[in-house]
Amino acid sequence: MDLSQYAELFLVESREHLSSINQQLLEWERSPQATEPVAGIFRAVHTIKGMAAAMSYSVTSDLAHRMESLLDILRTGDGEVTQDHFELLFRATDTLEQAVAASVSGREGQLDVAEVLAALDAATRDLGAAARRPSRSSMPLVAVSEGPGIWIRVQIEPNSTLVGARAAVVIGRMEAIGAVREVRPPPSAFESDEFDGQFDFQLETELDPEAIEREIRAAGDIKQVLVGAERSRTDVKQTASGRSRHVRVDLQRVDSMMDLIGELVTARDQLTQVSAARTAGDLDDLTLKISRLTSDLQAEIIQVRMTPVWQVFDRFPRLVRDLARQLDKQVEFRVEGKEIELDRAILDEIGDPLVHLLRNAIDHGIEPPAEREALGKPPTGRVVLSALREKAKVAIKVSDDGRGIEREKILDRARRDGMVGDEVETLSDELLLRVLARSGFSTAAEVSDVSGRGVGIDIVATRLRALGGGLEVSSEIGVGTTFTLQLPITLAIVRALTVEVGDERYVLPITHVTETLDLDSSAVTELDGRAGLMYRGTVIPLVDLRELVNVSGIVPDRRPVVVVQIGGRRSGVVVDTLTGQQEIVVKSFDPPSGTLPIFSGATILGDGMPVLVLDAGGLV
Amino acid sequence: MASPNKMHEYAGVRLLVFRVADLACAADASVVREILPAQQATRVPGAHEAVEGLINVRGRLVTLINGRQALNHPPENGDGPVILVEVGERTVGISVDAVLDMFSVAPDDLAERADLPGVDAQLVKAVGRRADMSFVLLDTDALLGPYLAA
Repeated sequence: MDLSQYAELFLVESREHLSSINQQLLEWERSPQATEPVAGIFRAVHTIKGMAAAMSYSVTSDLAHRMESLLDILRTGDGEVTQDHFELLFRATDTLEQAVAASVSGREGQLDVAEVLAALDAATRDLGAAARRPSRSSMPLVAVSEGPGIWIRVQIEPNSTLVGARAAVVIGRMEAIGAVREVRPPPSAFESDEFDGQFDFQLETELDPEAIEREIRAAGDIKQVLVGAERSRTDVKQTASGRSRHVRVDLQRVDSMMDLIGELVTARDQLTQVSAARTAGDLDDLTLKISRLTSDLQAEIIQVRMTPVWQVFDRFPRLVRDLARQLDKQVEFRVEGKEIELDRAILDEIGDPLVHLLRNAIDHGIEPPAEREALGKPPTGRVVLSALREKAKVAIKVSDDGRGIEREKILDRARRDGMVGDEVETLSDELLLRVLARSGFSTAAEVSDVSGRGVGIDIVATRLRALGGGLEVSSEIGVGTTFTLQLPITLAIVRALTVEVGDERYVLPITHVTETLDLDSSAVTELDGRAGLMYRGTVIPLVDLRELVNVSGIVPDRRPVVVVQIGGRRSGVVVDTLTGQQEIVVKSFDPPSGTLPIFSGATILGDGMPVLVLDAGGLV
Repeated sequence: MASPNKMHEYAGVRLLVFRVADLACAADASVVREILPAQQATRVPGAHEAVEGLINVRGRLVTLINGRQALNHPPENGDGPVILVEVGERTVGISVDAVLDMFSVAPDDLAERADLPGVDAQLVKAVGRRADMSFVLLDTDALLGPYLAA
C-alpha cells in the first residue's frame, strides 16, 4: 500500500505525541516516583514506533523501539530512574523529533543517531536487563488446523488522523502474530474518504484475546476492539452522522478566505452606497440580504481562525527547563489559561516575543539558588505564564519572582545614551518600557548568549500596537518583574481616524488619539530646538505629517492637529484634513527597503485602495 | 535543430515576454504568478523611487515596482499591465509597457548574457532570439530584490 499520502498526517500526529512526551517527561522529572507519566510516555513512544513502522521509516521506529525498551524497564519498576536517565530521554526525544522530520522529507538516511542509540542501549543494559527486542521469529507460530480463527472488529477513533494508516498498521501487526483473512472492508478501501475506521477480519493466532487486543491497541487511537465478534457487518454503518467531524485545513486557505471575505465586505459597502443612490425596493432588499450574509460569513471565518493558546504555550515548559539547567537556576514554571483562544494570526505573532520574555525572566530575573537563599527567598524561583480574558481583550503575562529591574542602573545608562534628560530622577514603569524597548539597549550586567539584549522588545511593542494591543511592564526590586501583552481576541478590526496630507491618505488608530484641534499658530513654539506645541499648560513635540512623509503642494491655511499619546508621551501631528473615522482591518505588509519606521501596517479602504496605518509609537 | 529525443530531454524554458520602454524583456514563466491590468498604487514614504507603492491584489498587499525605473528608463504615466512575480518567498508586482508573448525556447536558443547598451549586465540572465525579435531574459530576483527589505 502506498503510504506516502499519509506522510504529512504522520508528521502532524507524531509532533502531537512528541509534545506530550516532553510534557510528561517534565512531569516525571519533577516527581520521579509517579507512575503515570512514564506509562504515558511509553504509550506515546510506542504509538510513534507503530506509525513509523507502518510508514517504513526504519530509523525512527528503531529509535522509538530502543527508547521503549529503556522505558519499559523503568515503567515496570525494575530499574530506578536517575537524573542521567532524564537527560538521556530528553536527548532521545529531541533526536526522535529530528528523525520524524527527516523521515517525512526522505532524509532519514542522513541522520546520525548511532550515539543516542548506543546510549539508550547502554542504559537499558545497565539496568540489568538485556534490551528486549521481540523479533517476528520469536512470535508464536500459527496454529493452522484450528479452523477459521476468530473474528475481530476494530473501531479506530473516527476523529483521529491517519485512520487509514492505523488500520493498515493493525493489519500489519496482526500478520506478525498470526494469519489474517477476510479483511472487510478490504485494505484497499482504507485509503478512501468513505472509510470510517471500522473494519473486521479473521485472525488465527495462539495469543489469547487479551494479548491480541494489546497488539491492536498499540496502533494508537483505537476506540474499540471486539475479539470474538460475530461476523456481521450489517450494523456497521449505524452512526455516521451525529458526531462532530473535523478536517484539517491548510492555514493559507483560511488566510486567503479571510482576505477574500474582507474584499467581499468592501464590495458590500460599495453596493450599499449604489443601492442607496437609487430608489428601487427590490434592490434594497437584495442589498440587505447580501449585507447580512456577508456579516455572517465574516463572523464565521473569525471563529474558524480562533486557536487556543496552548498551541504556542506547550513548547515552553521544555524550553524553560533547558534554560534553567543551562544557567544553573532552579525554576518552577507554571502555565495558566491554556484554553484561552486567540485569532491564529495574533497567536503566530506572539510566539517569539514570549520566548524572548521567558528567556529574560530566567536569565536576568531569577537569581541563582544560593543568592536567593541569602535573600531569604525559596531557592526555587517561579516563572508564571498566564493568559487571561478581559472583555474583548486577552492579557498574556510573563512574571517572575526574581530580582526585578534595577532602575538606577538603567537610568544611568539611559542618561549616558541621551535617552532621558538629567531632570528625570526616577524611571516610571512606562518610561522603563520605553528605554527597554530601544533596540540594542542591554539591561544585563553581563550579556549572556541565552537572552537577547533588549533587542526585540521594540519590535514586540510595534507589533502589538499594529494588532491593536499594547505592552506593559511592572517591576519591583527584589520582588520580580511582570510583562503584560495586551491583545485583541480577534484580528484587529480597529477604529481609526482617516487623515489627508496633499493627495495622500493615512489612517491613525483611535486608541492612541487623545484629541483633535485646530492648529493655532500662536501656540507653536520651540522644544529642544524642534517645533513644539503649547498644549494644556505644557509643551509637546509638534510633527508635520507633510514633512514627515515628504508631500509637496499647496499647504492649506487651516490645519488640524491630532494629539497622540502612548503611555505618558504625547505629540501633536499636523495634517491637512481629517476625513472621518472608520473600522479598518490592519494587515501586515512587507515594507520595501527604506520605508519610514512610522507605519505599523496597512489597510484597504472602502474604495479598494491600500492605505498605510500610522504607528503612534513612531510619532511620539 | 535538435533531435526529437533531445527535445524531450530539454523540455525548454517557458518565458513571458514583455516590453519596457523600447526593450523586449523576458522572465522565466515559472516565477510569474499572474498578469493584472494597470494598477493604482499607494506610495510608501521612504522607499526607493522605483517603488510605486502598494497595490491591492484580492485583499493582499503587494509591492509594485516600476519596470521602467528599475531598468533605468525615465518613468512614463502609462497604463501598462502589472506582472506579479515571485521573488523568494514574496510576491512582487512590476509594471511594464505591454505583455507581448509567452513561449518556450530551447536552452540552445539562449546565449550567455552579452553587453547590451543601457542594460545593467547584472540584471540579465541571457539574451535570446525568436523569429525576428531579440529579447533579454531578466534575472527577476536581481532586478526586484534590492527594493525589498532584507
